This record gives sequence, structure tokens and C-alpha cells, in this order.
Amino acid sequence: MDNKNEVKTLSYSNFDEFIKNLIREKKYDLIGVKEKGKRFVFDIIESPEELRLDYDVTILPPKKYFLPQIEVLMDYKLKDKSKAKENMDIKSQIIIGVHPYDIIAIQQSDKIYLDEQKDDFYKKRRENNIIIGSEIQNVSDRSFAGSMNTHLTDSGYDLFITDLGSKYAITIGSKKGKELLVKHSKFKDAKSSDIKKIEKIRSKIKSKFKKEVKIPKEEWTKYLVANYDNSLWEERANKCMECSSCTMVCPTCYCYDVQDEVSLNMKQGKRYRTWDGCLIRDFTKIGSGEVFRQDIKDRYRHRFYRKGNYLPERYDFVACVGCGRCGIACLPDIADPCDLINELSRFDKDEKTDKFFIKQDTEVKEKGIIHIPRSATIKKIEKLTDREKLFKIELDDKKSLGHKPGQFVELSILGIGESPISISSAPTDAPTFELVIRKVGNVTGKMFELKKGDKIGIRGPFGNGFNVKAMENKDIIFVCAGLGVAPLRSLINYVSDKKNRNKFKKIKVLYGCKQPCEAMFLDELEGLKSCEDFTCKLTVDKCPEDEEWDNEIGLITTLFPKLDFDKNRAEDTISVICGPPIVYKFVIKNLKEMKIPDKNIFVSLERRMKCGVGKCGHCQINGVYVCKEGPVFRYSDVKDLPEAFE
Amino acid sequence: MKAKVAFFDFSSCEGCQLQIANLEEEILDLIDIVEVVSFREVMKEHSDDYDIAIIEGSIMRPMDVERIKKIRKNAKILIALGACATIGGINKIRNQWSPENVKKEVYGNENLKGNKFFDVFKTKAVDEVVDVDYYIHGCPINREEFKKVITSVALGKKPEIPNYPVCVECKKNENICLFELGKFCLGPITRAGCNSICPSNGSACEGCRGILKKPETECIMDILKRYDLTYEEMKSRCKMYNYNQEECK
Amino acid sequence: MSKEIDINVEHLTRVEGHGNIILNSKNGNIQKLQWQVSEAPRFFEAMLRGRHYDELRTITSRICGICSIGHSLASLKATEDALDLKITDQTAVLRRLAINAENMQSHILHVGYLAVPDLFGVGSVFPIAGSKNNDTLLKIVKLHRISNEMSDLICGRTTHPIRLVVGGFSMLPTEKQLLKLKGRLEEGLSVTKEVAESILGVIGNLPDFERKTEYIGLTSEEEYALYDGDISSTDTGILKNYKDYREYMKEYVVPQSTAKYAKHKRDSYMVGALARFNLNSEQLHPISKEVAKLFDLKPICYNPFMNNIAQVVEFVHNIEDSIIIIDNIIDKGLEEEQPVKVKKKKGNGVGVVEVPRGILVHDYTLDENGKCIKANCIIPTNQNHANIQKDMEEFAPKIIDKPEKEIELNLEMLVRAYDPCISCSTHYLDVKFV
Repeated sequence: MDNKNEVKTLSYSNFDEFIKNLIREKKYDLIGVKEKGKRFVFDIIESPEELRLDYDVTILPPKKYFLPQIEVLMDYKLKDKSKAKENMDIKSQIIIGVHPYDIIAIQQSDKIYLDEQKDDFYKKRRENNIIIGSEIQNVSDRSFAGSMNTHLTDSGYDLFITDLGSKYAITIGSKKGKELLVKHSKFKDAKSSDIKKIEKIRSKIKSKFKKEVKIPKEEWTKYLVANYDNSLWEERANKCMECSSCTMVCPTCYCYDVQDEVSLNMKQGKRYRTWDGCLIRDFTKIGSGEVFRQDIKDRYRHRFYRKGNYLPERYDFVACVGCGRCGIACLPDIADPCDLINELSRFDKDEKTDKFFIKQDTEVKEKGIIHIPRSATIKKIEKLTDREKLFKIELDDKKSLGHKPGQFVELSILGIGESPISISSAPTDAPTFELVIRKVGNVTGKMFELKKGDKIGIRGPFGNGFNVKAMENKDIIFVCAGLGVAPLRSLINYVSDKKNRNKFKKIKVLYGCKQPCEAMFLDELEGLKSCEDFTCKLTVDKCPEDEEWDNEIGLITTLFPKLDFDKNRAEDTISVICGPPIVYKFVIKNLKEMKIPDKNIFVSLERRMKCGVGKCGHCQINGVYVCKEGPVFRYSDVKDLPEAFE
Repeated sequence: MKAKVAFFDFSSCEGCQLQIANLEEEILDLIDIVEVVSFREVMKEHSDDYDIAIIEGSIMRPMDVERIKKIRKNAKILIALGACATIGGINKIRNQWSPENVKKEVYGNENLKGNKFFDVFKTKAVDEVVDVDYYIHGCPINREEFKKVITSVALGKKPEIPNYPVCVECKKNENICLFELGKFCLGPITRAGCNSICPSNGSACEGCRGILKKPETECIMDILKRYDLTYEEMKSRCKMYNYNQEECK
Repeated sequence: MSKEIDINVEHLTRVEGHGNIILNSKNGNIQKLQWQVSEAPRFFEAMLRGRHYDELRTITSRICGICSIGHSLASLKATEDALDLKITDQTAVLRRLAINAENMQSHILHVGYLAVPDLFGVGSVFPIAGSKNNDTLLKIVKLHRISNEMSDLICGRTTHPIRLVVGGFSMLPTEKQLLKLKGRLEEGLSVTKEVAESILGVIGNLPDFERKTEYIGLTSEEEYALYDGDISSTDTGILKNYKDYREYMKEYVVPQSTAKYAKHKRDSYMVGALARFNLNSEQLHPISKEVAKLFDLKPICYNPFMNNIAQVVEFVHNIEDSIIIIDNIIDKGLEEEQPVKVKKKKGNGVGVVEVPRGILVHDYTLDENGKCIKANCIIPTNQNHANIQKDMEEFAPKIIDKPEKEIELNLEMLVRAYDPCISCSTHYLDVKFV
């Protein structure tokens, strides 16, 4: 496109006219940088005098226009649960005065939010916005964008303003930008002396920055990966107030939480998303109340790794633009990445930077709007135990869910919220699918009160399912502990289904739970025994006097010696484990003793899955998204992830 | 079947119940979704048959203990409304001294023995006497949070109140940090849910919603030094609403 | 005929705070008639000991949820008086807006939610919803909302204001916001007339009772005094030095009340809207004067039940006054002022304001470090308790032949007419530094 990098000029008075015209333009709101007390903010501009292109840094970055602090995703009426309307009433805006580091941050968030699972709200906001960048004139003393090379940019804007001292130079960055300039201003073509002036001004910007980071940002990842257990994390985290101010003001922090709210008259409700921060203790809290990354040291460290190692591995950019906002916002002054990295530079580095990441090609089905649930109906309810029920569900459009064993859905009850639930049935059962619900919180509790014929919402299927291809022609040992039997059932039923059975060799199912009243699917497992080469061993940790139990008693690991296992088959044996976190350590020890290779072991891990598409940030295990690269993982991939088996 | 709701007040300024009246037109929505069977401040009728009891005020005297225990027995759900009920609030300032000291201060040598109205012990929050199911914090409460809790209870779901500090909301509101203006703000250690209303109005947070966690002393001392404030001053500010909270010693 | 009447209203409803009415009579002879104040003492007086001058406003605001702005302003005036700190004209004018807002909010709450149900013959405002008077209810709610919008804007929050600080405001409204508020006030003015007419329709239900009483309130040459003025009495005129307030307000203890009583020349006196009307009605703005005429309210009115009507009249006056104030501010232009800086010094200060229920006094003594060492507070409702008792003693015999339920209702209406703020009245401040 030949519009790019065309440069025009505007006299100061013509520039004021341009601004006035933009203010008058009814199609857009003009947002620009203005004063707020001693600081600056992006806000609606009502006159050219308000615009302060000489600002140093705003309190909040322009991300609030693409990912608002609070954004309504959909409205619904409580009485008619099948009709939820997405709320895409998005205004058009011109945002003027964006510094290069903020422009670069927007380009980074584009990579995240406009990937193969596009976030439609973000997309619409980006389309409806025109970005007018401006040259850095003044610099906050916490900013280190110069040494991050984010003090200049040649893309990501529609127009870019440089103050030449006697007039403005406007660099054109897109067709949209040029149209705006043509429609609303009386510009002249830039002379070569103007271009030279721009270059001179730009060459002086780097020296304005008092703060400098000692290691180039491309190298940060090597220092981080080598210093995971460095004592400096704890020393610094001891001062952390867990206020998450750092993530709120950061232009490259994008995590969000989703909640439901109902009006006081209980007739209508809305589902909205709002900024969330990984420093907050409950960031990782799941329905049962468990919190991962509990220690403040782990959360404090996590933020730096996300910016300097995890996101760079995934997207090829360092998620820090050196704006200095976190340095200003942090009361105990421990949030500044520049200070942190400069301290790390004293230590060693490691070239193997993908230690905390898994490169996985996940097959993604573009399913349209990713936030709005599809309406579904409960077809059948079966009580399994005192706190678990089996629900058979069918999508209202009668289409099959099209899931793979091991995937999960986000179960939505309007007015209450959403909860991730593993799919418990094999895809061969289409068009219906089954979910095992354990009553632990609000959504699951409400689900328990519903009846056959009631409507719910379903998003998904999400996640990396079991790699059934890798299991073909192999023996499979299933280890189901407690509720772990629910997701594994999808695979057990899949491999033992008549259509598929001959693709797999011996199947052994080990199933253990605390006591007999908690056991599920016993009849089904009994029935599967008639299948070819299918053995099943059941155990309970203990059997109270008033309960009946004909099988083994003892921890699930006590079943291993009783397995008729041929050590020579170890290389050709797959093992699939699912259960509460504590179980994995012991079971894997047993499997190792049986000489089963790490790459043959599959685990299904649980974290707080909220969006299901790798954007909200809640389900991270180090650099890995459980909702994208998991919940099913090869043990060999995750065994060295420090956060995998907390 | 609409749930029956009753409001009760103990030692308080009744400002939190006033917030219910301040729902304006929405108060008609409220009486649409629940049946208000007792609300002394605005209605004559009273009934002892209620499902949800909403309590404003602290517990100060044996006669109050009797009354709250009776209410707890009658109610399926008990909600503490406002700082006086949830954490003791301003009423707890006097706990620095003994009840005798404080009575002498006010009533001099007046013989108050045997007068049940004056038989006070150290102020207690409601949960120091009976079990509380849900809390609506604040001095006064935030009406939006009240609506959220009531609709959650009506929907049969556990209300989710923030477990993170005011700073999160303050930053979302793009306020200038009160520390940058030389004031000592308790926001970083106070529970959010008020939408940072005081900082948004230029006033430092006073911790009226309860302290979340005791920050490491090292951290606090650092901050105080950085902003030129004294430890005594900080402790005094904490004492306004949160005297006796373990976190604030 | 032996007619025994036993009325024991425990925790009177539709008043702020806890009070009881007791009446025992046999054959028309009243044996016991008492207005008891049983509200729990919260010992605010003790809690102010040693507190920084910055915190006094926050703590005293919590004495009462309804008149928290009033307490804040009295507290600030006393503190500024003790520190010899002079506020700017703009602050004074904005504080007048705040006090107007509180007066409006409190009066409409009292008349609309607490008193009017008696006139409509129902137990609370709730049954009015959906009835033939639903429209009136919605109008009352609208007026309440507008009053709250005003105090939200000026004070940051209507209950326990945030923006009122020593020396000024922590944050100012913008001219744009003031203009928007003016529009809302003008809307409110037209709605008020309609509400006044609905009340006029049921006004016959107000008892026609009179007792010669002394009225005390603020008075000023410049305006209908609420924020600033001289203490004045209908019996003896203006008090020369405001610091001698104790001359006019003598407190004493009675056994049936955890709150003290007060008197001046007679056994009791009344404060509040009716008192202010009786002292200053000439200075009311025109439309409020019309409303007074509508209800045939003339000074000096000795019927305590008419306090409700005086509140309606004041409400109208406050709206008119606020519109004039906003016009003046916009004309002059709003200055971006910071609160006046404080120079700590030893001193004593007294702040007197009119809050919805009557005249309020805060009296503080500060030490050289700015800490409070002595404080005293005269609360309006305190000052009314004696008058309530005296009124009851004269009123009860006049209605003793009616059915018991009717006597009970009438006595309740009498107490409600005073719009008592009982929590406030049990929290007078009397601090001596230990």
C-alpha cells in the first residue's frame, strides 16, 4: 500500500482546526490525552486546548478502549434462558496521542485476541477505532522504553504526529488515516527538510530515558529460565501487598474474569467481563475452593515469567514495553521489570528457553462467537452418588457436539455463572453427550436443582483431548481416582466401543475412591468386562461397616502389584491417569517402576478454566494453558513444569 | 414463594438501612422479589416469621445478645449489614478502654448499676456472638453490593464478594493514587467492593470494609519511609475501623 | 364505667432510633405517661479522645445516618473555629448546597416515608405501591432521588459524606455537573407542588392541637438561616455570643431517658423545621411561601403536628435556594480551589448549624498537636425530648376518651411529627482529656 509512510505537514493553526473538525465529527468520539490533576489520562476531548501531546505517561494505557474495565458480553432474560443476546453496542473512536510503546502493546494484544479463536468484541473495537500516534516528547523517570526499543514504531497506527517545533508532521500509516486527514484538514506535502527534522527528533528520543535495562529484551528469557528458584523472588515478594496494581496499569496485561449479574427485579441479567490480575490470590481458585499458586512468591514471580518467558515463547514478543506505569503504581516498588532484570543480570543464563512451555498444535474449530453459549436441554438425569449426578444433554440445534475424549465444555446457567466440566461420554454417543456434575459451588449447585427438560448453555468443546492415534496398537492402563473416572469414561467408552475396539490392545481399568458410597459407574464397568481383553480392578480406601463392598480395599496404588503386567510390554503400554492432585505423584512412581516411559503416560490436569480459549489467563500452569494445550498432557511434557503437580 | 425478609438494628447510626431507602424506585423491585415482614425504621408491621434476617449494628449489651440469639434461631439466613455488624466498625474504637472507664467518661459518677440499658461490654461484631451467613461490608454499605447479595440469595447462590484490595477498583477507575498526593491510604490492605468511592472523591481509604491481610512489617515500613509518614500515624488510622482486628496489630 | 387504658409502644416504628411510649390510665385519670428513650449509648464522647482534628468529622458523621452531613458540617465549623481557619466564600456557598441537600433528603424521607403513611391510614409506604396513591409514592421517591443526587455530587456520598474536609472540599463538582443538577432541581420543583397537593387532601387527619411553646433556632439577616446565623429564641431574641450557647440550652438528666433533656426559659423548648419557620418565615423564597399559604401555616404556629408541613415548606425553599446558588456559582465561575492549609494551634471552637431536626452545636478544644482533648455536643432531638414529654402531658387528656387504638396512633403521630433522631440524641459529646 503506497499510503504507508507518506508524510504530510500541518501548521499549528491548521492542526487545531483538524482537531476541532474531529471533535465535530459525529461518527466518532475523539479521545485524547488530557490532564488529570498532576497526571494524564486518555479521555474525551472537547477542545484543542485540552489535548496534551507533551505528556509523559497516562495513568492507564489505551487498552481500556479495546478491553474495557467492564464489558458486557451478553444480556438475557431470566425467564427465557434460551435467548441470550450478545451486547455489541460499540462506539467508534479516534484515539489521539498514543505513544509508540502503547502502540506496540496494542499490536501484541492483537496477536493474542485476534488469533485463530478471534475475540469478536475485541475485533469490533479494533475495527471501530482509529489510532493516531504521537512522538514521545517527555519521559517519566520510571520509563525505560528507550532500552526496550519501543520508543519508536513504524507500524500499528493510522496516523502519527511529530511536533517539528514550527509545525506538525503527520506520517500516514493506513488508508483509514489518510481518509481522515483528507476529509478534515488542510495539509501540505512534507519537504525533505521536514523528513530530516523528524529523523533528527527521533534520534534524540532514546537519550531522554533516565532508566535503562541492562539486558536486551530478547535475552530476558534466558535469564528467567535459569533463575526460577533464585532467592530474590522470595526476598522481593515479601514486600508485595498483593494489590495487583501492576497488572491493572500494564498495557500488556490482558487477563479478565467473567461474571453474571442479575437486576434487582430478577427479570433480566447480564454476563460481563472485567480486568483480573494474577497477583490476586483467588485468581486461580476453582469451584471446590482450591487455590493454585497460593504463595505470594509464586504469584509475584509468575508475572515476570509471563512477560519475559511464557508469552515470548508462545508469540515471539516480550510482553513488556517499558512504559514504567507499574513502577509508578507499585507502593513497595518491586514491580518494575527493569529493576528486576537488572538484578537478574548478575546471575547465569540458560539457552533452553522453552522449559516452561509446550509447543502443541491444537486443532481448533472456529466456532463463531466464543463468548455466547449455545442453548441446550437436559435430556436425562441420573443420580450417581450423594453429591454427583449424570446429565445427558442435547444441543437445541440438534447438532452433535463433535468432541474428542478428554475435552471439556463450559456449562452456563444464566444468572449464576459458568463452570468447566469434562465431557464424560464418548463422541460415539452423539448427538447427546454426558456430564458428571459434582455439587461444589454455585453453578454445580444450581445444576443439581434442575430437572429434565430444563435449559442450560454450553460453550465448547475446548481443550486438547486424548491423542487416540498415539494409543493405537498399544495396551492401555486407565488409572481413575475418585472423580477422575468422569473424564476418563469418555476415553474408556471410546476405546471399548465396538467400532474402535480392535485398534487398541489390552485394556486395564484401575478405579479407586475413598469409600463404596462414592463409587460411580460400577455397572457399566462390570458390563465392559465382557469386552475382549478388558480387565477392571476396583478398590476403596476404606469400607465403613454399614456399606457393602466385594472388591479390594486399599489405596489405588495397591492395585498395581495385582495387575497382570508384562514388563516387556512396557514400551507399548500407554497409561492414562486422572484424579486429585495428590494422586499423580504416587501413581507415576508406580508406573515408572513398571518401566513405562514418560511419553507413554497421559495425565488430565485441572485448573480454573474460564474462557476456554487461552485468553483470560486463569488456567496457566507456567507457560501452558490448560484449556488449550491441556487438560490432557503427556507426562513427559509437563513433568518438569514446576507448577504442574503442586 | 417469596422469601420473607426482616431488618433489625442494634447499636448503629441506621445509615446502612437508610441505603435501602436510597434504592429509590428500585425499592419497589425489592419488595417484588422478597416479602419485607419487619423493618422498624419504615413500617409499623412486624412478624417473627422470616427466612432472612438482615442485621445492622454491633452487639454491646447482654440484652442485645439475647435479642440476636433469638433472631438467629428464627432465621434460615442471617446477613450482617454494614461495618458495625460485619467488623464492629467505629463502635470498636472504644474497645481501647474498659467499659468502666468509658462509662465514667460520659456519665461521670452516676450510679448505673443494675440498669440494663447501660450494661455494656466491649463492642462485638455480630459474628462474635452468632453465626453469620453473608456479609455486606462498608460504612455505609454500597447499594450495588446490597443488590448483588440480595439477588444472589434470592437465586439460591452464594454471593461472591471481593477478596482483593481496593487498589484493583481504584486503578480501574483511573484515580490518581492518594499516596502520590501525600496521603496515607489503607486501600492496599482493605477489601474491595465499594468501587473505591473514597479515593475517587479525593479522600484516602479508611478501611471501613475490613482489613484483608496484615502486610509484612518490612513492606509497610518501606512504604512509610518512601512517602514520609510515621508508623504511629498508620496504626492510628487502622484503628478507626479495624481496632482489634488481628491483622492490624 | 371502668375504662383501663394500657399503651406500651416498645421501639416506636417509623422513627430513627429506639424510643417507647407508655400510657396507663384508669377511668380517664392518667397515672403514667412517659416518653422513654431506650437507645443504646455508643459512647462517642469517649471515642474522640486523642483523635487528630482530621478524623473528628469522619467519626462524628457516624453518630447518625440521616444527618451525617449536618454533623460533618458542625464538626468542621467547630474545628475551623478552633484552628482560626477561614474558609473561602466558594466553600461557604457549596456547603450551603450540601446543607440544602441534606435538609431536602431528610424532610422528604420523613414526610414521605415515615409520616405520610399515617395520613393515608396505612402501616408503611409499601402498601401505597400499586394502590390508587401509587403516583404520589413515585413522586415522593423521585424527590428523594433528586435530593440524593445533589448530595452525591457535592459531598461525594449522601450518607457519611466524603468530600467535606477541614478547610474546604477534597474534590469539587464541575460547572457542567452543576448545570445538570440545576435541571434536575427544576424538575423537582414542579413535582413538589403535586405532592403538596396530595398531602393537602389528607391533611384533615392531622390533629388540631396547640400548646404555647418556646422555639429556638438560627437566624440571620442575609437569609433563611441554615449554615450560618445567630442562635435565637422566640421568647428572648438573639444570643450575642455563639460560644455562650449553654445559656440557651441547659441540659439535665431524667431517669426514663438515656438521653438528656434541655430547657431555657420554660420547662422545655422546640427546635426543628417548625421552630425555624416561626423565627424566619419572612425570609422564605416565594414559592415556598405560597405552599405555606396553601396549608394555612402562619407564624407563630404552636401545633407540633404542623412540623410535618413546615418540613414540606422548607423542602420547597431548599430547592429554590439551591437553584439560585447554582446560578450564582456559574455566573462567578467555579475556582479549582484546594482546602485551606491548616496551621496547628491550641484552641477552642464552636460550630452551630441547623440540621433537618433542629439546631446542632459541636464544641471542640484542641491541643497544640491538633488532637482533640475536650468536646461537647448539643443534639437537636435532645432538645426536643422534654417538649415531647410536655406535649404528651397536655395532649393525652384531650383524647383520653377515644378508643385505645386511636389514642395510641395519635401519640405515635405526635412523636413522629418531631422527626426525632434518637440515635443522635444519645450521643452527645462530653470529653475530658485523661
